[in-house]
Amino acid sequence: TSQVQRGLEKLTPAQVERKVTAEVVQFILVKDQKKFPIRRADLIRVVLKEYKNIYPEVMKRAARTFEQVFGLRLMEIDPKNHLYILQNNLEPVGAASPVISKTGLLWVILSVIFMKGGVVRESVIWNILKKLRVQPGEKHSEFGEVKKVVTEEFVRQRYLEYVRVPHTEPLEHDFCWGQRAVAEVSKAKILEFMAELHQQDPKSWSQQYREAQASSPRAGTSSQR
Amino acid sequence: MSQQMGDSHRRFLQTMMGCAVVTGREADALYRFCCEAHNTQHVPHKLDDFIKTINSKLQPLFMEIRKGMSEDSGEQCYALINTSQSDITRMSSDYADNELELFRKTIELVVGSESGKISSTDVLNSADSLTTKKMKKSETEQLLNRLVHDKWLNENQGEYTLSTRCILEMDQYIHTMYEDQVKKCQICHHIAFQCQICDNPACGIKIHNPCVARVFKEKTEPKCPTCGDFWPHEIP
Amino acid sequence: GKEKATQMCAGNGFDPSIFTENLLSFMGLNRLEGGEDEQPEGQQVDGYLPEDAWHRLARRAESCFRTAPSFHYMNGAFHVEPPPPKPRIE
Ligand SMILES: [Zn+2]
Ligand SMILES: [Zn+2]
Repeated sequence: TSQVQRGLEKLTPAQVERKVTAEVVQFILVKDQKKFPIRRADLIRVVLKEYKNIYPEVMKRAARTFEQVFGLRLMEIDPKNHLYILQNNLEPVGAASPVISKTGLLWVILSVIFMKGGVVRESVIWNILKKLRVQPGEKHSEFGEVKKVVTEEFVRQRYLEYVRVPHTEPLEHDFCWGQRAVAEVSKAKILEFMAELHQQDPKSWSQQYREAQASSPRAGTSSQR
Repeated sequence: MSQQMGDSHRRFLQTMMGCAVVTGREADALYRFCCEAHNTQHVPHKLDDFIKTINSKLQPLFMEIRKGMSEDSGEQCYALINTSQSDITRMSSDYADNELELFRKTIELVVGSESGKISSTDVLNSADSLTTKKMKKSETEQLLNRLVHDKWLNENQGEYTLSTRCILEMDQYIHTMYEDQVKKCQICHHIAFQCQICDNPACGIKIHNPCVARVFKEKTEPKCPTCGDFWPHEIP
Repeated sequence: GKEKATQMCAGNGFDPSIFTENLLSFMGLNRLEGGEDEQPEGQQVDGYLPEDAWHRLARRAESCFRTAPSFHYMNGAFHVEPPPPKPRIE
Protein backbone atom coordinates (compact mmCIF):
# COMPACT_ATOMS: atom_id res chain seq x y z
CA THR A 1 0.00 0.00 0.00
CA SER A 2 2.89 2.39 0.63
CA GLN A 3 3.68 2.03 -3.05
CA VAL A 4 0.12 3.05 -3.84
CA GLN A 5 0.45 5.97 -1.51
CA ARG A 6 3.64 7.17 -3.14
CA GLY A 7 1.94 6.83 -6.50
CA LEU A 8 -0.97 8.90 -5.29
CA GLU A 9 1.31 11.64 -4.07
CA LYS A 10 2.25 12.28 -7.67
CA LEU A 11 -1.40 12.87 -8.56
CA THR A 12 -3.11 16.20 -8.57
CA PRO A 13 -5.96 16.69 -6.09
CA ALA A 14 -8.40 16.54 -8.99
CA GLN A 15 -6.99 13.18 -10.06
CA VAL A 16 -7.22 11.81 -6.54
CA GLU A 17 -10.81 12.92 -6.35
CA ARG A 18 -11.60 11.21 -9.63
CA LYS A 19 -9.97 7.96 -8.51
CA VAL A 20 -11.67 7.99 -5.13
CA THR A 21 -15.01 8.84 -6.74
CA ALA A 22 -14.73 5.83 -9.03
CA GLU A 23 -13.99 3.62 -6.03
CA VAL A 24 -16.88 5.06 -4.06
CA VAL A 25 -19.22 4.43 -6.99
CA GLN A 26 -17.93 0.88 -7.27
CA PHE A 27 -18.30 0.30 -3.52
CA ILE A 28 -21.88 1.57 -3.53
CA LEU A 29 -22.79 -0.60 -6.52
CA VAL A 30 -21.34 -3.68 -4.83
CA LYS A 31 -23.15 -2.97 -1.56
CA ASP A 32 -26.40 -2.35 -3.43
CA GLN A 33 -26.34 -5.90 -4.83
CA LYS A 34 -28.23 -7.06 -1.76
CA LYS A 35 -30.16 -3.81 -1.41
CA PHE A 36 -28.81 -3.15 2.04
CA PRO A 37 -28.27 0.56 2.74
CA ILE A 38 -24.72 1.86 2.56
CA ARG A 39 -23.22 3.22 5.78
CA ARG A 40 -21.11 6.30 5.66
CA ALA A 41 -18.83 4.78 8.29
CA ASP A 42 -18.08 1.80 6.00
CA LEU A 43 -17.43 4.06 3.05
CA ILE A 44 -14.86 5.99 5.04
CA ARG A 45 -13.29 2.93 6.58
CA VAL A 46 -13.02 0.85 3.41
CA VAL A 47 -12.66 3.32 0.56
CA LEU A 48 -11.69 6.79 1.64
CA LYS A 49 -9.28 5.90 4.45
CA GLU A 50 -6.67 8.66 4.60
CA TYR A 51 -8.68 10.77 2.16
CA LYS A 52 -11.63 11.16 4.48
CA ASN A 53 -11.12 14.90 4.51
CA ILE A 54 -12.32 15.07 0.89
CA TYR A 55 -15.47 13.10 1.80
CA PRO A 56 -18.03 15.85 1.03
CA GLU A 57 -16.56 16.60 -2.37
CA VAL A 58 -16.24 12.91 -3.28
CA MET A 59 -19.84 12.19 -2.27
CA LYS A 60 -21.06 15.11 -4.30
CA ARG A 61 -19.18 13.78 -7.31
CA ALA A 62 -20.38 10.21 -6.74
CA ALA A 63 -23.98 11.44 -6.55
CA ARG A 64 -23.47 13.35 -9.79
CA THR A 65 -22.01 10.24 -11.46
CA PHE A 66 -24.96 8.11 -10.39
CA GLU A 67 -27.34 10.73 -11.73
CA GLN A 68 -25.59 11.44 -15.03
CA VAL A 69 -24.42 7.96 -15.97
CA PHE A 70 -26.94 5.60 -14.39
CA GLY A 71 -30.05 7.71 -13.92
CA LEU A 72 -29.94 6.86 -10.21
CA ARG A 73 -30.13 9.05 -7.17
CA LEU A 74 -27.87 8.63 -4.17
CA MET A 75 -30.06 9.42 -1.18
CA GLU A 76 -29.46 9.67 2.51
CA ILE A 77 -32.45 7.89 4.04
CA ASP A 78 -31.29 8.05 7.62
CA PRO A 79 -29.57 11.31 8.53
CA LYS A 80 -28.94 10.15 12.08
CA ASN A 81 -27.04 6.97 11.18
CA HIS A 82 -25.90 8.27 7.77
CA LEU A 83 -27.34 5.54 5.62
CA TYR A 84 -27.57 5.87 1.86
CA ILE A 85 -29.57 4.09 -0.80
CA LEU A 86 -29.75 4.25 -4.57
CA GLN A 87 -33.10 5.21 -5.97
CA ASN A 88 -34.23 5.18 -9.58
CA ASN A 89 -34.69 8.54 -11.28
CA LEU A 90 -36.36 6.97 -14.30
CA GLU A 91 -40.06 6.11 -14.37
CA PRO A 92 -40.73 2.38 -14.30
CA VAL A 93 -41.79 1.23 -17.76
CA GLY A 94 -41.81 -2.55 -17.48
CA ALA A 95 -39.06 -3.14 -20.00
CA ALA A 96 -37.22 -6.35 -20.70
CA SER A 97 -35.71 -6.65 -17.24
CA PRO A 98 -36.22 -9.93 -15.41
CA VAL A 99 -38.89 -10.17 -12.73
CA ILE A 100 -37.91 -10.43 -9.09
CA SER A 101 -40.77 -12.35 -7.52
CA LYS A 102 -40.02 -11.06 -4.01
CA THR A 103 -41.35 -7.73 -5.27
CA GLY A 104 -44.81 -9.32 -5.25
CA LEU A 105 -44.46 -10.45 -1.65
CA LEU A 106 -43.15 -7.06 -0.60
CA TRP A 107 -45.98 -5.34 -2.44
CA VAL A 108 -48.61 -7.32 -0.54
CA ILE A 109 -47.11 -6.39 2.82
CA LEU A 110 -46.53 -2.72 2.02
CA SER A 111 -50.01 -2.27 0.57
CA VAL A 112 -51.74 -3.88 3.52
CA ILE A 113 -49.81 -1.59 5.88
CA PHE A 114 -50.73 1.42 3.76
CA MET A 115 -54.40 0.47 3.44
CA LYS A 116 -54.67 -0.15 7.17
CA GLY A 117 -53.33 3.24 8.14
CA GLY A 118 -49.58 2.75 8.50
CA VAL A 119 -49.16 0.16 11.25
CA VAL A 120 -50.21 -3.48 11.16
CA ARG A 121 -49.82 -6.26 13.69
CA GLU A 122 -47.60 -9.11 12.48
CA SER A 123 -50.34 -11.73 12.86
CA VAL A 124 -52.56 -9.82 10.40
CA ILE A 125 -49.82 -9.98 7.75
CA TRP A 126 -49.26 -13.70 8.25
CA ASN A 127 -52.96 -14.44 8.08
CA ILE A 128 -53.11 -12.68 4.72
CA LEU A 129 -49.99 -14.41 3.45
CA LYS A 130 -51.34 -17.79 4.56
CA LYS A 131 -54.34 -17.26 2.32
CA LEU A 132 -51.87 -16.60 -0.47
CA ARG A 133 -50.29 -20.00 0.25
CA VAL A 134 -47.29 -18.55 2.02
CA GLN A 135 -46.65 -20.13 5.43
CA PRO A 136 -44.24 -18.45 7.83
CA GLY A 137 -42.88 -21.73 9.15
CA GLU A 138 -42.34 -23.41 5.81
CA LYS A 139 -39.85 -23.14 3.02
CA HIS A 140 -41.63 -21.52 0.09
CA SER A 141 -40.74 -22.66 -3.43
CA GLU A 142 -40.32 -19.06 -4.58
CA PHE A 143 -39.08 -17.20 -1.51
CA GLY A 144 -37.30 -19.80 0.59
CA GLU A 145 -37.52 -19.13 4.31
CA VAL A 146 -40.30 -16.56 4.20
CA LYS A 147 -40.18 -15.60 7.84
CA LYS A 148 -36.51 -14.70 7.43
CA VAL A 149 -37.11 -12.82 4.19
CA VAL A 150 -39.87 -10.72 5.72
CA THR A 151 -38.56 -10.05 9.23
CA GLU A 152 -34.84 -9.93 8.42
CA GLU A 153 -34.08 -9.24 4.76
CA PHE A 154 -36.84 -6.70 4.11
CA VAL A 155 -36.04 -5.06 7.44
CA ARG A 156 -32.31 -4.86 6.74
CA GLN A 157 -33.07 -3.42 3.33
CA ARG A 158 -35.21 -0.85 5.11
CA TYR A 159 -38.36 -1.70 3.25
CA LEU A 160 -40.00 -2.63 6.54
CA GLU A 161 -39.76 -1.71 10.16
CA TYR A 162 -40.39 -4.49 12.62
CA VAL A 163 -41.25 -2.97 15.96
CA ARG A 164 -41.77 -4.70 19.29
CA VAL A 165 -45.12 -3.95 20.83
CA PRO A 166 -44.59 -3.03 24.48
CA HIS A 167 -46.26 -5.01 27.27
CA THR A 168 -47.20 -8.02 25.19
CA GLU A 169 -46.84 -11.56 26.44
CA PRO A 170 -45.89 -13.49 24.36
CA LEU A 171 -43.96 -10.80 22.52
CA GLU A 172 -45.71 -9.27 19.52
CA HIS A 173 -44.49 -7.10 16.66
CA ASP A 174 -45.93 -4.41 14.42
CA PHE A 175 -44.95 -3.77 10.82
CA CYS A 176 -44.69 -0.35 9.24
CA TRP A 177 -42.98 1.14 6.20
CA GLY A 178 -39.21 1.48 6.37
CA GLN A 179 -37.24 4.45 5.13
CA ARG A 180 -36.43 2.77 1.82
CA ALA A 181 -40.09 2.12 1.13
CA VAL A 182 -40.94 5.75 1.85
CA ALA A 183 -38.32 6.84 -0.68
CA GLU A 184 -38.92 4.20 -3.31
CA VAL A 185 -42.58 3.21 -3.34
CA SER A 186 -45.44 5.24 -4.76
CA LYS A 187 -48.60 5.20 -2.63
CA ALA A 188 -50.61 6.54 -5.55
CA LYS A 189 -49.57 3.61 -7.70
CA ILE A 190 -50.35 1.15 -4.93
CA LEU A 191 -53.84 2.62 -4.65
CA GLU A 192 -54.23 2.49 -8.41
CA PHE A 193 -53.41 -1.23 -8.45
CA MET A 194 -55.64 -1.76 -5.40
CA ALA A 195 -58.52 -0.08 -7.22
CA GLU A 196 -57.89 -2.26 -10.24
CA LEU A 197 -58.00 -5.40 -8.11
CA HIS A 198 -61.26 -4.40 -6.42
CA GLN A 199 -62.77 -2.85 -9.55
CA GLN A 200 -63.44 0.18 -7.47
CA ASP A 201 -62.68 3.89 -7.73
CA PRO A 202 -59.42 4.76 -5.90
CA LYS A 203 -61.21 7.80 -4.46
CA SER A 204 -63.57 5.51 -2.58
CA TRP A 205 -60.77 4.98 -0.07
CA SER A 206 -60.81 8.67 0.70
CA GLN A 207 -58.27 8.68 3.50
CA GLN A 208 -55.69 6.63 1.60
CA TYR A 209 -56.41 8.67 -1.52
CA ARG A 210 -55.62 11.90 0.29
CA GLU A 211 -52.44 10.46 1.72
CA ALA A 212 -51.33 9.19 -1.67
CA GLN A 213 -51.93 12.58 -3.26
CA ALA A 214 -49.94 14.30 -0.54
CA SER A 215 -46.96 11.99 -0.75
CA SER A 216 -46.59 11.69 -4.52
CA PRO A 217 -44.67 12.17 -6.63
CA ARG A 218 -41.82 11.64 -4.23
CA ALA A 219 -42.30 15.02 -2.67
CA GLY A 220 -39.26 16.36 -0.92
CA THR A 221 -37.03 13.36 -1.46
CA SER A 222 -34.37 15.27 -3.33
CA SER A 223 -33.16 17.32 -0.41
CA GLN A 224 -30.70 15.51 1.80
CA ARG A 225 -31.25 17.02 5.15
CA MET B 1 -15.63 14.72 -28.24
CA SER B 2 -17.85 11.90 -27.04
CA GLN B 3 -21.60 12.42 -27.00
CA GLN B 4 -23.37 13.35 -23.80
CA MET B 5 -25.58 10.80 -22.14
CA GLY B 6 -29.33 11.28 -22.04
CA ASP B 7 -32.11 9.37 -20.31
CA SER B 8 -32.29 7.00 -23.27
CA HIS B 9 -28.67 5.96 -22.62
CA ARG B 10 -29.34 5.68 -18.90
CA ARG B 11 -32.37 3.47 -19.44
CA PHE B 12 -30.38 1.27 -21.80
CA LEU B 13 -27.65 0.91 -19.17
CA GLN B 14 -30.17 0.18 -16.41
CA THR B 15 -31.76 -2.54 -18.49
CA MET B 16 -28.33 -4.02 -19.15
CA MET B 17 -27.72 -4.06 -15.39
CA GLY B 18 -30.94 -6.00 -15.03
CA CYS B 19 -30.44 -8.62 -17.70
CA ALA B 20 -26.62 -8.59 -18.08
CA VAL B 21 -26.59 -9.93 -21.64
CA VAL B 22 -28.74 -9.35 -24.72
CA THR B 23 -28.57 -10.51 -28.31
CA GLY B 24 -27.90 -8.00 -31.07
CA ARG B 25 -31.54 -8.12 -32.07
CA GLU B 26 -32.69 -7.50 -28.52
CA ALA B 27 -30.17 -4.67 -28.19
CA ASP B 28 -31.52 -3.06 -31.37
CA ALA B 29 -35.07 -3.27 -30.04
CA LEU B 30 -34.00 -1.96 -26.65
CA TYR B 31 -32.14 0.93 -28.24
CA ARG B 32 -35.26 1.86 -30.13
CA PHE B 33 -37.45 1.44 -27.07
CA CYS B 34 -35.21 3.65 -24.92
CA CYS B 35 -35.13 6.40 -27.55
CA GLU B 36 -38.89 6.35 -27.91
CA ALA B 37 -39.46 6.30 -24.16
CA HIS B 38 -37.48 9.53 -23.81
CA ASN B 39 -38.39 11.27 -27.05
CA THR B 40 -34.91 11.21 -28.47
CA GLN B 41 -34.12 10.54 -32.09
CA HIS B 42 -33.59 6.90 -32.90
CA VAL B 43 -31.06 6.45 -35.68
CA PRO B 44 -31.21 2.92 -37.09
CA HIS B 45 -27.85 1.09 -37.35
CA LYS B 46 -26.26 3.47 -34.87
CA LEU B 47 -26.52 1.12 -31.91
CA ASP B 48 -22.74 0.79 -31.61
CA ASP B 49 -22.30 4.56 -31.47
CA PHE B 50 -25.02 4.75 -28.85
CA ILE B 51 -23.20 2.13 -26.77
CA LYS B 52 -19.89 3.88 -27.32
CA THR B 53 -21.31 6.96 -25.62
CA ILE B 54 -22.31 4.86 -22.62
CA ASN B 55 -18.95 3.10 -22.55
CA SER B 56 -17.05 6.37 -22.53
CA LYS B 57 -18.71 7.15 -19.20
CA LEU B 58 -18.40 3.61 -17.86
CA GLN B 59 -14.71 3.23 -18.60
CA PRO B 60 -13.48 5.30 -15.62
CA LEU B 61 -15.82 3.23 -13.42
CA PHE B 62 -14.29 -0.07 -14.57
CA MET B 63 -17.41 -1.19 -16.43
CA GLU B 64 -18.11 -1.81 -20.11
CA ILE B 65 -20.81 -3.00 -22.48
CA ARG B 66 -18.85 -5.49 -24.54
CA LYS B 67 -19.82 -7.05 -27.85
CA GLY B 68 -19.07 -10.61 -28.82
CA MET B 69 -20.34 -13.67 -30.61
CA SER B 70 -22.42 -16.41 -29.05
CA GLU B 71 -20.61 -19.71 -29.57
CA ASP B 72 -23.98 -21.46 -29.78
CA SER B 73 -25.89 -19.36 -32.28
CA GLY B 74 -23.17 -17.26 -33.87
CA GLU B 75 -25.26 -14.21 -33.06
CA GLN B 76 -23.63 -10.99 -31.88
CA CYS B 77 -24.40 -10.30 -28.23
CA TYR B 78 -23.78 -7.49 -25.75
CA ALA B 79 -22.90 -7.99 -22.11
CA LEU B 80 -22.36 -5.55 -19.27
CA ILE B 81 -19.09 -6.49 -17.63
CA ASN B 82 -16.80 -5.53 -14.80
CA THR B 83 -13.25 -4.83 -15.91
CA SER B 84 -11.33 -4.47 -12.66
CA GLN B 85 -10.18 -6.52 -9.74
CA SER B 86 -9.62 -4.98 -6.32
CA ASP B 87 -10.44 -5.27 -2.62
CA ILE B 88 -13.69 -3.50 -3.40
CA THR B 89 -14.77 -5.78 -6.26
CA ARG B 90 -13.98 -8.81 -4.10
CA MET B 91 -16.70 -7.69 -1.67
CA SER B 92 -19.28 -8.95 -4.12
CA SER B 93 -21.45 -11.41 -2.26
CA ASP B 94 -23.41 -13.17 -4.97
CA TYR B 95 -21.43 -16.39 -4.48
CA ALA B 96 -19.64 -17.87 -1.48
CA ASP B 97 -15.91 -18.62 -1.60
CA ASN B 98 -16.33 -22.33 -2.27
CA GLU B 99 -18.90 -21.58 -4.96
CA LEU B 100 -16.46 -19.24 -6.66
CA GLU B 101 -13.77 -21.90 -6.40
CA LEU B 102 -16.04 -24.42 -8.09
CA PHE B 103 -16.88 -21.91 -10.81
CA ARG B 104 -13.16 -21.47 -11.47
CA LYS B 105 -12.69 -25.23 -11.57
CA THR B 106 -15.53 -25.42 -14.08
CA ILE B 107 -13.76 -22.92 -16.32
CA GLU B 108 -10.57 -24.96 -15.98
CA LEU B 109 -12.40 -28.13 -16.99
CA VAL B 110 -13.90 -26.42 -20.04
CA VAL B 111 -10.53 -24.99 -21.05
CA GLY B 112 -8.99 -28.44 -20.78
CA SER B 113 -11.74 -30.16 -22.73
CA GLU B 114 -11.48 -30.75 -26.44
CA SER B 115 -15.06 -29.86 -27.29
CA GLY B 116 -15.58 -26.95 -24.89
CA LYS B 117 -18.26 -29.01 -23.16
CA ILE B 118 -18.21 -30.82 -19.85
CA SER B 119 -20.71 -33.06 -18.09
CA SER B 120 -22.23 -32.45 -14.68
CA THR B 121 -20.33 -35.54 -13.50
CA ASP B 122 -17.06 -33.79 -14.33
CA VAL B 123 -18.08 -30.86 -12.14
CA LEU B 124 -19.39 -33.10 -9.34
CA ASN B 125 -16.10 -34.98 -9.28
CA SER B 126 -14.07 -31.83 -8.99
CA ALA B 127 -16.30 -30.64 -6.14
CA ASP B 128 -14.54 -33.28 -4.00
CA SER B 129 -11.26 -31.43 -4.27
CA LEU B 130 -12.44 -28.02 -3.11
CA THR B 131 -9.96 -26.47 -0.70
CA THR B 132 -12.21 -23.74 0.72
CA LYS B 133 -15.23 -25.75 1.87
CA LYS B 134 -16.53 -29.10 0.67
CA MET B 135 -19.81 -29.17 -1.18
CA LYS B 136 -22.45 -31.88 -1.14
CA LYS B 137 -23.73 -33.34 -4.39
CA SER B 138 -27.06 -31.60 -4.02
CA GLU B 139 -25.33 -28.29 -3.25
CA THR B 140 -23.18 -28.63 -6.33
CA GLU B 141 -26.23 -29.34 -8.44
CA GLN B 142 -27.99 -26.32 -7.00
CA LEU B 143 -24.96 -24.17 -7.69
CA LEU B 144 -24.85 -25.34 -11.31
CA ASN B 145 -28.51 -24.41 -11.68
CA ARG B 146 -27.82 -21.00 -10.23
CA LEU B 147 -24.84 -20.42 -12.51
CA VAL B 148 -27.05 -21.27 -15.47
CA HIS B 149 -29.84 -19.05 -14.15
CA ASP B 150 -27.41 -16.15 -13.66
CA LYS B 151 -26.14 -16.74 -17.21
CA TRP B 152 -22.58 -17.73 -16.36
CA LEU B 153 -22.97 -21.21 -17.81
CA ASN B 154 -25.14 -22.78 -20.48
CA GLU B 155 -26.66 -26.19 -20.05
CA ASN B 156 -27.81 -28.52 -22.77
CA GLN B 157 -28.84 -32.13 -22.05
CA GLY B 158 -26.61 -32.41 -19.01
CA GLU B 159 -23.62 -30.80 -20.69
CA TYR B 160 -22.24 -27.46 -19.58
CA THR B 161 -20.53 -24.79 -21.66
CA LEU B 162 -19.28 -21.30 -20.90
CA SER B 163 -21.93 -18.70 -21.70
CA THR B 164 -21.37 -15.64 -23.87
CA ARG B 165 -21.56 -13.50 -20.74
CA CYS B 166 -18.87 -15.60 -19.10
CA ILE B 167 -16.57 -15.58 -22.13
CA LEU B 168 -16.91 -11.81 -22.54
CA GLU B 169 -16.34 -10.95 -18.90
CA MET B 170 -13.78 -13.63 -18.03
CA ASP B 171 -11.75 -13.13 -21.22
CA GLN B 172 -8.80 -11.48 -19.47
CA TYR B 173 -8.90 -13.98 -16.61
CA ILE B 174 -8.86 -16.96 -18.94
CA HIS B 175 -5.95 -15.53 -20.90
CA THR B 176 -3.98 -14.86 -17.73
CA MET B 177 -4.60 -18.27 -16.21
CA TYR B 178 -4.44 -20.49 -19.26
CA GLU B 179 -2.19 -18.57 -21.60
CA ASP B 180 -0.69 -21.66 -23.24
CA GLN B 181 -3.89 -23.70 -23.34
CA VAL B 182 -6.45 -21.43 -24.93
CA LYS B 183 -6.58 -20.93 -28.65
CA LYS B 184 -8.20 -18.30 -30.77
CA CYS B 185 -10.57 -18.96 -33.61
CA GLN B 186 -8.77 -18.74 -36.95
CA ILE B 187 -11.71 -16.84 -38.46
CA CYS B 188 -12.90 -14.31 -35.87
CA HIS B 189 -9.74 -14.27 -33.72
CA HIS B 190 -11.67 -14.54 -30.49
CA ILE B 191 -11.08 -17.18 -27.85
CA ALA B 192 -12.63 -20.50 -28.93
CA PHE B 193 -14.22 -23.21 -26.79
CA GLN B 194 -16.99 -24.88 -28.75
CA CYS B 195 -15.24 -25.38 -32.05
CA GLN B 196 -13.81 -27.73 -34.66
CA ILE B 197 -10.11 -28.49 -34.80
CA CYS B 198 -7.99 -29.14 -37.89
CA ASP B 199 -6.99 -32.82 -38.01
CA ASN B 200 -3.49 -32.09 -39.31
CA PRO B 201 -1.35 -32.51 -36.17
CA ALA B 202 1.14 -29.96 -37.43
CA CYS B 203 -1.67 -27.39 -37.77
CA GLY B 204 -4.48 -27.97 -35.26
CA ILE B 205 -6.18 -24.60 -35.67
CA LYS B 206 -9.56 -24.03 -34.11
CA ILE B 207 -12.68 -22.57 -35.69
CA HIS B 208 -15.92 -21.81 -33.83
CA ASN B 209 -18.87 -23.89 -34.99
CA PRO B 210 -20.80 -20.85 -36.27
CA CYS B 211 -17.63 -19.54 -37.94
CA VAL B 212 -17.21 -22.92 -39.66
CA ALA B 213 -20.76 -22.63 -40.95
CA ARG B 214 -20.10 -19.15 -42.24
CA VAL B 215 -16.72 -19.72 -43.87
CA PHE B 216 -17.46 -23.07 -45.51
CA LYS B 217 -20.93 -22.14 -46.67
CA GLU B 218 -21.54 -23.45 -50.22
CA LYS B 219 -18.02 -24.88 -50.44
CA THR B 220 -18.10 -28.34 -52.00
CA GLU B 221 -14.70 -29.34 -50.64
CA PRO B 222 -13.90 -27.45 -47.42
CA LYS B 223 -10.17 -26.96 -46.78
CA CYS B 224 -8.36 -25.71 -43.69
CA PRO B 225 -7.69 -21.99 -44.23
CA THR B 226 -4.21 -22.39 -42.70
CA CYS B 227 -2.68 -25.67 -43.89
CA GLY B 228 -4.96 -26.44 -46.83
CA ASP B 229 -5.76 -29.97 -45.64
CA PHE B 230 -9.23 -31.33 -46.20
CA TRP B 231 -11.63 -30.20 -43.41
CA PRO B 232 -13.04 -33.52 -42.26
CA HIS B 233 -15.75 -32.33 -39.89
CA GLU B 234 -19.42 -32.00 -40.52
CA ILE B 235 -20.30 -28.46 -41.53
CA PRO B 236 -22.98 -27.19 -39.13
CA GLY C 1 -73.53 -10.38 -1.35
CA LYS C 2 -71.58 -10.20 1.88
CA GLU C 3 -68.62 -8.67 0.03
CA LYS C 4 -70.61 -5.83 -1.48
CA ALA C 5 -72.18 -4.99 1.85
CA THR C 6 -68.82 -4.75 3.60
CA GLN C 7 -67.51 -2.45 0.90
CA MET C 8 -70.55 -0.21 0.90
CA CYS C 9 -70.77 0.63 4.56
CA ALA C 10 -67.07 0.93 5.33
CA GLY C 11 -66.11 4.09 3.48
CA ASN C 12 -62.40 3.91 4.09
CA GLY C 13 -62.66 0.27 4.84
CA PHE C 14 -60.14 -2.20 3.69
CA ASP C 15 -61.18 -5.78 4.07
CA PRO C 16 -58.24 -8.19 4.02
CA SER C 17 -60.42 -11.15 3.05
CA ILE C 18 -61.84 -9.35 0.00
CA PHE C 19 -58.32 -8.22 -0.83
CA THR C 20 -56.87 -11.74 -0.73
CA GLU C 21 -59.83 -13.08 -2.69
CA ASN C 22 -59.27 -10.52 -5.46
CA LEU C 23 -55.53 -10.94 -5.35
CA LEU C 24 -55.82 -14.70 -5.73
CA SER C 25 -57.95 -14.17 -8.82
CA PHE C 26 -55.35 -11.80 -10.20
CA MET C 27 -52.63 -14.35 -9.52
CA GLY C 28 -54.56 -16.89 -11.55
CA LEU C 29 -55.98 -19.12 -8.81
CA ASN C 30 -57.34 -22.28 -10.30
CA ARG C 31 -60.60 -22.78 -8.40
CA LEU C 32 -61.94 -25.76 -10.29
CA GLU C 33 -59.25 -28.31 -9.70
CA GLY C 34 -57.18 -29.02 -6.64
CA GLY C 35 -59.25 -29.44 -3.55
CA GLU C 36 -56.85 -31.82 -1.82
CA ASP C 37 -54.94 -28.67 -0.85
CA GLU C 38 -54.97 -28.70 2.92
CA GLN C 39 -56.85 -25.73 4.35
CA PRO C 40 -55.75 -24.94 7.88
CA GLU C 41 -58.20 -23.19 10.19
CA GLY C 42 -61.09 -23.61 7.82
CA GLN C 43 -59.98 -21.21 5.13
CA GLN C 44 -62.63 -20.49 2.56
CA VAL C 45 -60.55 -20.29 -0.61
CA ASP C 46 -59.96 -23.57 -2.42
CA GLY C 47 -57.84 -24.31 -5.42
CA TYR C 48 -54.20 -23.92 -6.26
CA LEU C 49 -51.99 -21.18 -7.63
CA PRO C 50 -50.24 -21.60 -10.98
CA GLU C 51 -46.46 -21.67 -11.02
CA ASP C 52 -46.12 -18.13 -12.36
CA ALA C 53 -48.55 -16.61 -9.82
CA TRP C 54 -45.95 -14.59 -7.92
CA HIS C 55 -44.21 -13.56 -11.11
CA ARG C 56 -47.48 -12.26 -12.43
CA LEU C 57 -48.01 -10.21 -9.30
CA ALA C 58 -44.40 -8.99 -9.23
CA ARG C 59 -44.59 -7.84 -12.85
CA ARG C 60 -47.61 -5.69 -12.09
CA ALA C 61 -46.34 -4.51 -8.71
CA GLU C 62 -43.01 -3.35 -10.16
CA SER C 63 -44.62 -0.16 -11.40
CA CYS C 64 -45.14 0.93 -7.78
CA PHE C 65 -41.41 0.73 -7.05
CA ARG C 66 -38.54 2.95 -8.07
CA THR C 67 -35.92 0.39 -7.32
CA ALA C 68 -32.45 0.88 -8.76
CA PRO C 69 -31.21 -2.09 -10.77
CA SER C 70 -28.11 -3.68 -9.29
CA PHE C 71 -24.86 -4.63 -10.97
CA HIS C 72 -23.61 -8.21 -10.77
CA TYR C 73 -20.36 -9.62 -12.05
CA MET C 74 -17.96 -12.52 -11.74
CA ASN C 75 -14.69 -11.00 -12.92
CA GLY C 76 -13.02 -9.42 -9.91
CA ALA C 77 -15.16 -11.33 -7.41
CA PHE C 78 -12.23 -13.49 -6.33
CA HIS C 79 -8.51 -13.20 -5.89
CA VAL C 80 -6.54 -14.20 -8.97
CA GLU C 81 -3.03 -15.47 -8.78
CA PRO C 82 -1.63 -16.05 -12.24
CA PRO C 83 0.20 -19.37 -12.58
CA PRO C 84 3.96 -19.15 -12.07
CA PRO C 85 5.84 -18.71 -15.33
CA LYS C 86 6.87 -22.08 -16.74
CA PRO C 87 10.60 -22.70 -16.84
CA ARG C 88 11.73 -22.48 -20.42
CA ILE C 89 13.44 -25.44 -21.98
CA GLU C 90 16.78 -24.29 -23.30
ZN1 LIG D 1 -14.80 -17.61 -34.57
ZN1 LIG E 1 -5.07 -26.98 -40.72
